[in-house]
Amino acid sequence: MITFENVDVVYPNGFKGLSGVDLTISRGEFVAIVGLSGAGKSTLIRTINGLVPYTAGTLTVGGTLMDPKSKSKLRQLRSRVGMIFQSFNLVTRISVLNNVLTGRSAFTPTWRSLLGWYRAEDKEIAFQSLERVGIVDKAYNRASALSGGQQQRVAIARVLAQDPEVILADEPVASLDPPTAHQVMRDLRRIQQDLGITCIVNMHHLDLARSYADRIIGMRAGSVVFDGPTSEATDAVIEEVYQRSLTAEDVAAVDVAVSLDDLPTAPEQEAAEPTATQAADGQAQQPVAAPGGETEQGRT
Amino acid sequence: MTAAVSPADAGPAAEVKPASRPTPPRPSLAIYLGLAALAVAAFIWFWQTRESTAVLYVPLGEIMLWAPQNPLIGFLVMLAVLAVCWRTRTGAMAAFGALSFVIFTYWAGARINFSLTSIPERWSNLEGQLQAFFRPNWSYVFGVWDQWLTTLNMAIVATALGCFIGLLLAMIASPVSSPNKPTSQSVKALNSVVRSIPDVGWALLFVALIGGTAYGLGPLAGVLALLMFNIGIVAKLLGETIDAVSPGPIEAADAAGANLLQRDRIAVLPQVMPGFVSYSLYVFELNIRASTAIGIVGVGGIGQELSLQMNRFAWENVAAILYALIVVVLLVDLFSMWIRRRLM
Repeated sequence: MITFENVDVVYPNGFKGLSGVDLTISRGEFVAIVGLSGAGKSTLIRTINGLVPYTAGTLTVGGTLMDPKSKSKLRQLRSRVGMIFQSFNLVTRISVLNNVLTGRSAFTPTWRSLLGWYRAEDKEIAFQSLERVGIVDKAYNRASALSGGQQQRVAIARVLAQDPEVILADEPVASLDPPTAHQVMRDLRRIQQDLGITCIVNMHHLDLARSYADRIIGMRAGSVVFDGPTSEATDAVIEEVYQRSLTAEDVAAVDVAVSLDDLPTAPEQEAAEPTATQAADGQAQQPVAAPGGETEQGRT
Repeated sequence: MTAAVSPADAGPAAEVKPASRPTPPRPSLAIYLGLAALAVAAFIWFWQTRESTAVLYVPLGEIMLWAPQNPLIGFLVMLAVLAVCWRTRTGAMAAFGALSFVIFTYWAGARINFSLTSIPERWSNLEGQLQAFFRPNWSYVFGVWDQWLTTLNMAIVATALGCFIGLLLAMIASPVSSPNKPTSQSVKALNSVVRSIPDVGWALLFVALIGGTAYGLGPLAGVLALLMFNIGIVAKLLGETIDAVSPGPIEAADAAGANLLQRDRIAVLPQVMPGFVSYSLYVFELNIRASTAIGIVGVGGIGQELSLQMNRFAWENVAAILYALIVVVLLVDLFSMWIRRRLM
């Protein structure tokens, strides 16, 4: 469980990243955070693992109070909180396996890390993580040799190798093409459900957020302005969050620049997955077709 | 102006000139006059302080003008530079820069009496030595095989140790990978001190401190000198490479709970590894050359042999050593280029 109580973040340059955030995220939830650029989405996520220290209020993660000052406590916390980044943040010159083993750092003695001599158990954990994202056969390839979608899967495997309670994802699919974005989100959702991990994801694309998240948090100017289940996050509500009317680009992840070749696979998978997800969660199906239709109108 | 002249004769003119183009802004004349005054001041100062007594006579009809040769030439160059700057509409700051460049160069050259005219005067002395370079004593080069190996060995040991220590120092020196700002700053400062002393300076220092070839410690002093030289180079170059690594993997390692050493090893080292290997090879090349140079101050190796032969005026031997050195350095260069190509 993650609890924000009146949390403020003021950056060293005086910019207020978060102001008075109150949130409770319970175990096993899949939360999407939406908002325009600069709304404080990244700051919110980075506060949870202390990459950005909060300056006022209280933040507890898994029952322990977050202390951004204590380095050892931070490391302990980070060992249980994995993070996925927009630009994957892999070390491209080393093997996929070694990248995944980075996730084992907190559980590996320093001398082993320095020599690059990992325990067999840790390697096994890394292989299992790679299996979960389906690229175990690439284990000894250089990370740079992989495609964007595969690299983001390696990043997910790196997080899984930590055996995390929480996964934070900062725009995890923003640099992927729409079909790949859906595949990666689907993987993340599946793994999150299998392992009961709490997942907090920043999103630009509304329909991705609606398709995969249980709960949507809307942010504007460092504050939470909407917080509710996905079914309540209607276009009207999101327009309120954005303070402007939605455009095609806000909603669409599928139909922006997708070639005809992609159509048979992408919408099909997309149709299958959210239904399964939402059946499991007992939530109302958010019409995926509707935003698409809207887009068509918006364009013409 | 054009507008004021126009209506009457605008007809044909408009046909020829389709549109007025923007012209570059004209630099202020006052500033250029000031710069010209600066050039005059510099000329007067160079005249007053000249050491060369050569005087140039300029026949101007009835009268004969005379001026000290070098300052006058310098002055004409200054005026020419200003004229070119004016013609190309160069800004005041750039023109000032160009003028001061000429003034400083002239001052530096005049101060040390830089002139190539003394070479022909010394030709008789030079001729015999130059001839020796066309008949090097090849048999001698292989006779000093041992000295060559000493030089090579000093270079290898110094490269291995120096690059490793340089790597550690670079890691501490870069704010990206160092524990905190004060540590990074102080290591950087220390590094500047190490770098400010040239390799020959270190060699003289170590020879004086622990003894040179006379005590059988020449190579030790040589290796220590090269070591300091290498640490300075590697720590500087690699430190700057570390400053520029992509921050993403570092953030990822932090987010995974890695400690500082793990982070540096996992996220920083792989990124700078090509740079490190490349710098190490470069340092090895430098060491071959530098160990020759510092050999002259008494640390053994081929450099010492070189200085010995020069003192004996055995120019055929000197020539042979220098040619062999060129070949060795070229080989090392090719070797490291071959490795670097495979690195990328």
